[in-house]
Amino acid sequence: MSTQKRGADLKGKVIVITSGKGGVGKTTTTASLGAAIASLGKTVAVVDMDIGLRNLDVVMGLENRIVYNVVDLALGRCQVKQAAIRDRRIKGLYLIPASQSDNKNSLNTDDMARVTKKLKQEFDYILIDCPAGIEQGFENSVTGADEAVVVCTPEVSAVRDADRIIGLLYARSITPKLIVNRIVPQMVINGDMLSHKDVEDVLSIELIGLVEMDDRVIAATNTGSYITNDKTSKAGQAYTRIAQRMLGDKTIPIKEPDYDQKGIWSKIGSKLGLKK
Amino acid sequence: MKNGFFGKFFGKTKESSRDIAKKRLQFALIYDKLEVSDEILEALQKDIVDVISKYFEIDKNSLKLDIKRQDDLSALELNTPILSAKRKSK
Repeated sequence: MSTQKRGADLKGKVIVITSGKGGVGKTTTTASLGAAIASLGKTVAVVDMDIGLRNLDVVMGLENRIVYNVVDLALGRCQVKQAAIRDRRIKGLYLIPASQSDNKNSLNTDDMARVTKKLKQEFDYILIDCPAGIEQGFENSVTGADEAVVVCTPEVSAVRDADRIIGLLYARSITPKLIVNRIVPQMVINGDMLSHKDVEDVLSIELIGLVEMDDRVIAATNTGSYITNDKTSKAGQAYTRIAQRMLGDKTIPIKEPDYDQKGIWSKIGSKLGLKK
Repeated sequence: MKNGFFGKFFGKTKESSRDIAKKRLQFALIYDKLEVSDEILEALQKDIVDVISKYFEIDKNSLKLDIKRQDDLSALELNTPILSAKRKSK
């Protein structure tokens, strides 16, 4: 966080991470992308907008350092410097936690517009962790957002909700980009899971990244560490690539999961020309 | 594998749950978007009445507007008795 006054110079970009449905990995995605973007040398504020049900702090391992929160900041009870918790492990990464005692109606869109404006003066990137649902919490989270990332898992319920959210974002003139999370390639091969292509077909929005199901994400969350620091984790690598693309590096390709790891019978079958 | 290798032998191709999921989603999303609130329907009815009234004498109270849905199509249905055509005024 820079201490010098920048006046009305808004340098930051606000990106809301949303999904509609809960439990698809929004918070993990926000934490991982925040860590990855900061590791690439940018200043990042991640903001937990799930007021009353905060979790980004525990996912990031910063739960013991909360003094002020986003409601305090929005209502002018503290300064950005006081509300932003500096992550000592990654330079440039800050968390603005949600309040645990208020509820989602404690803030309105005007309050949030003021918060994002303040944050844009201090940080290069502001990632908003949107709560599940389409109520006030969603409205507040998308206020002031320049871009949106929709997180979706390959399940019918998540895809349907993502479609609804995409419609609401378009109505606010925001063109969202898609992350398909928790892909299990073997299940796709077996015909038991939608592929990322299926999800992309149904939602027809631009893809920005694919994240495979990775047990180590749960292990990282257990300890409050970042999956992007686990250099051998597929999910960690995927988030780092997404961060690079978000910073505008178009040369980073979207790595598709390996859907061709065929079983032995299938291989013999194709050798004999039995496979279609 | 079952569908590919053994399927060829036994001549049965069972649709995978993945394919079913995709089809169900595509239909669900279309239907979700066709859901029209009563408010919108009322406003639409008023506009339609206004337009028709320019050309026909109609009984505004017996006009009925409905959205009918069948398997994979939905239609806007409008029923109104026409009392008389309006004469063109130059």
